[in-house]
Amino acid sequence: MLVFDELKKNEPHLRLVAVGLAVGLGILLLGLWWVQVVSSREYQAHLETQQFRTIRLPAVRGKILDREGRVLAENQPRYNVSLYLNDLHAPFDKAYGELLKSARAAQKQNIANAEKKLGRSLTKTERKQFAFKPEQLQTLRESARAVVAGNLVAQVGQKMSQPVTFDPVLFNRHYATRLALPFPVLKNLTPEQIARFEENYTNRLGVEVELQSVRSYPLGDTAAHLLGYLQHDDSSSEGEESFFNYRLPDFHGVVGVEYGFDDELRGRAGAESLQVNSQGYRQSENIWSQPEPGQNVVLTIDLDLQRAAEESIVKHHGADARAAVVVMDVRNGDVLAMASTPTINPLFFTGGLTPTEMQQEAARRADKKLRPEINRATQENYAPGSIFKVIIGLAALEAGLNPEKFYTVEPDPTRPGKGCVYIGRRKIDDTAPPGEYNFKRALERSSNSYFIQVGSQVAGADRIVALAEKFHLGENFDLPTRQETSGNLPSSERIHSGWSAGDTANICIGQGEVEVTPLQMAVVYSTIANGGTVFWPRLVSRIEPQDPTSRDAATNLPSMLVRDRIGVSGRSLRILHNAMLAETEDVEGTGKAAVVGPELRICGKTGTAQVTDEHNHVVDLTTWFASFAPYEKPHYAVVVMVESGTSGGGSCAPIAHDIYQTILDKEKAGGGKILAAAN
Amino acid sequence: MFPQNTTPRESFDRLQIAALVGLMFIGTAFVFSATMVSDEAAALPWYDQSWVRQIIWYALGFGVAAALCVVDYHTLARWSFVAYWAMIICLVAVLIPHIGSMRYGARRWIDLKFFQFQPSEFAKVAFVLAGANFLSRPPDELRQSHVFWQGIGLMMLPFVLILKEPDLGSALVLLPTGLVMMLVAGTPRRYLVKLIVGVGLLASVFVADLLFAPDGWRIPMEQYQRNRLLIYFGRDYTHFAPPHATPAELQRLRQRQLDDAYNVRQALISVGSGGLIGKGWRQGTQNALGYLPRAVAHNDFIFSVIAEEEGFVGSVIVIALYGVVLFTGLRIAGSARDRLGKLVAVGVVTLIFSHVFINIGMNIRIMPVTGVPLPLLSYGGSSVLCSLIAVGLMQNIHIHRRGY
Repeated sequence: MLVFDELKKNEPHLRLVAVGLAVGLGILLLGLWWVQVVSSREYQAHLETQQFRTIRLPAVRGKILDREGRVLAENQPRYNVSLYLNDLHAPFDKAYGELLKSARAAQKQNIANAEKKLGRSLTKTERKQFAFKPEQLQTLRESARAVVAGNLVAQVGQKMSQPVTFDPVLFNRHYATRLALPFPVLKNLTPEQIARFEENYTNRLGVEVELQSVRSYPLGDTAAHLLGYLQHDDSSSEGEESFFNYRLPDFHGVVGVEYGFDDELRGRAGAESLQVNSQGYRQSENIWSQPEPGQNVVLTIDLDLQRAAEESIVKHHGADARAAVVVMDVRNGDVLAMASTPTINPLFFTGGLTPTEMQQEAARRADKKLRPEINRATQENYAPGSIFKVIIGLAALEAGLNPEKFYTVEPDPTRPGKGCVYIGRRKIDDTAPPGEYNFKRALERSSNSYFIQVGSQVAGADRIVALAEKFHLGENFDLPTRQETSGNLPSSERIHSGWSAGDTANICIGQGEVEVTPLQMAVVYSTIANGGTVFWPRLVSRIEPQDPTSRDAATNLPSMLVRDRIGVSGRSLRILHNAMLAETEDVEGTGKAAVVGPELRICGKTGTAQVTDEHNHVVDLTTWFASFAPYEKPHYAVVVMVESGTSGGGSCAPIAHDIYQTILDKEKAGGGKILAAAN
Repeated sequence: MFPQNTTPRESFDRLQIAALVGLMFIGTAFVFSATMVSDEAAALPWYDQSWVRQIIWYALGFGVAAALCVVDYHTLARWSFVAYWAMIICLVAVLIPHIGSMRYGARRWIDLKFFQFQPSEFAKVAFVLAGANFLSRPPDELRQSHVFWQGIGLMMLPFVLILKEPDLGSALVLLPTGLVMMLVAGTPRRYLVKLIVGVGLLASVFVADLLFAPDGWRIPMEQYQRNRLLIYFGRDYTHFAPPHATPAELQRLRQRQLDDAYNVRQALISVGSGGLIGKGWRQGTQNALGYLPRAVAHNDFIFSVIAEEEGFVGSVIVIALYGVVLFTGLRIAGSARDRLGKLVAVGVVTLIFSHVFINIGMNIRIMPVTGVPLPLLSYGGSSVLCSLIAVGLMQNIHIHRRGY
């Protein structure tokens, strides 16, 4: 034989080569015999279940809680009825077989008809025209699946006694791309529906209730801006496995605390691998990395104050009021309430609303005036108006103003009973009547003339701006919410180039080049209240594990972070406090509407700033009430801002009243610590 | 008077040709089976379908081989260095962007529009011819060390260039081919021992570096090549994880290893699930369902399609056909008129054998995955043409054999 002839060759080199070839081919044969004959079973089994599909499992998102652990944002189970396609493999095949049978019969019939017509049997090429094309078979398969699934869906509808829509195109797309995942039929079931389903539908193949976790805000719009909202986003976070065959729905925070603490809230997605067989159906599953649940974020917000603020705005100005309230703990900078209206329903972005609700929300979103998306407490610049006068007053007092000295306010020739002041040839109106004003009377009557005079003559623009800079007006807080503007403050360079006396006069009454946010003013009033320490505002007090039994420790965010000290004497502050107290308690005071009683005496300042258009015409008013309490031992600062209000005392002080009333009630219920201090 | 032998001696080695025809028949049938599973391929006009093209290449190759048989191989050998250097130029050219076209991360082809010309295939044949020509000098000369080193140089030049493409498999087949030709030519044993020890040492250093070297000491190599070799040596990717890797990271590395080992695993499953008698022509599910990647099923992994559909029986037939081609080749070498003929035949035999061993070996995981075609079965113009040119050379030697 050929091989042995070569092996027996007497040429040693060629014999060696022949041996080499024989051994090599022998090794291959042996290997093939081993793989194909000995272990062939094993590989055939492999064929059945050999494919993996990986699924990204989003972690349970952390809750957002108020300072006392009350829930502001949490997760709710959402129940869907879904088709589990793995179990439907056999019915699909069966339906396809039947469809194919009838298609074959039709094909035969067509051929027979054609033969009859021609009077002879068809040739091979003619028969070919009747053969099935691959697309036809594919269509048959798809319609078979659609029929089976459609019947099941109809059955579900019948059992649940409610109509269910079924879209065959959607279904076949799901089949093509996400075969190993359940196909949702009915979404968002109520508990009653689930009960009905479980009760009525016992013998069900391939239909199951499936659980999903969705974000919910149990208090609706409460603190909606601060909480922010989520958007659908399944993409992998930094440092996470980036390749998945399927991703279950997951969400990312877009603004607010949901955005600022997204990493903490989101946790770490897990991964599951599904084994599917050679047809792509699910065989078994294995979670190889468990999702790590996100952490809870505990806010500094006090839910009672937050709701009091929001409800009070609505009570006094209606649901579409454009207003903001900030309540701050003056002792440490904790934000106790931060309200902004109008709001957007946070479920608008995660698809938890009905279509009509969605339309309404969309219309509100598009409204140029309402602009419900912005957080008015931090995200919009406003002229502070008269509430800025406390800074002018402090600057003047520090510059040596004698608070008892009287300044004369001249009568306005065009408006009887009102005063005015002249800066050069320009006349500035005063809302206060003409007459003699000392510091206290000027503050409580909010005399523009007085503050323009002392601001320009005693303090001067340099001192005013220097003091305002100590308060860090015109600067960001770097809030974690992505909802911030810095306001405006002329720099010390600005006031030495092209700066006029009129510009200084404007600043003295909180107009012109100075703009603030309500949160900034809350910091200013807190600082005045606490004796001069500028704290960084704090929104989140700690981050703690979702599972209370977890051994992971909670992380406390630093409290009482000092940003600056204004370096103003206690005497000046005392004079200011007394004048502000008179604002709410004196007969002539403009902030009397805020008063809640002798147990909680309030130091306040009203303000009404003019909003002008490009022609310098007044088009709107921004009204303010900024305050702190108690007078004796300040604890709370409350700043209220209402757009298009009538006056600070009329539009804003009543809201502050409601908030202080809540504080008082709370303190009374909690043992009355403040009251003790007050007495 | 003894009658003169007047029968024409230009007769082919019929047994070898029969085996070749058998292989080409199988090649056509399974290129058909491997490509016609996808609807897009089936929808192509007939003249664009792979199996038709394969037949055209067979015919072309046969024509070229027959033409080669007309000229005495001595005449061909005289041109062998021209062919060799032409191929070296092509191998250099293919490395230059814009001339060599990039596919699957390697620069191996020169695009001639109607034909993707793969110089490394032709270089192998040119090397066999030039090497045989070089080594066919009297054995005394081969004892001189500078001749030995020249021979090594002749082999290493295309080796390095092909390695650079990168095409590890094609480069590697040059080594046994050159070595066996040197052995048969009568190069003194001490040289060969030195050579084998040297190559062995280099190879073990390479493997040791691959498996154990710390970061910074590793031989520069494309990541996919490293991965293929790691898979072959059964090395865990986790071995290369940073020291403080978390369990999740290790798990990810394992998953990636699984992904990278995909082709090998799928090929093995194909071969293994074929069993003794196979699933029948065009009944293989591995290929039909796309588990065997469509891009390679009809060329580098054609054997796993054959093995799945025809089983162990089919594998034995394929190996038997190669056995016939190889051993008739050796017979031709033995009966060759001179050392040149013998060396060419031995070179071709070793070349074909190396391809077969590496390609089938990688299907059953006894060799790492390298892009080496299976001669005459894998789809591809360059490979088919070169295989047929190579056997044409053998037939040429047979026609002009001893006693002619």
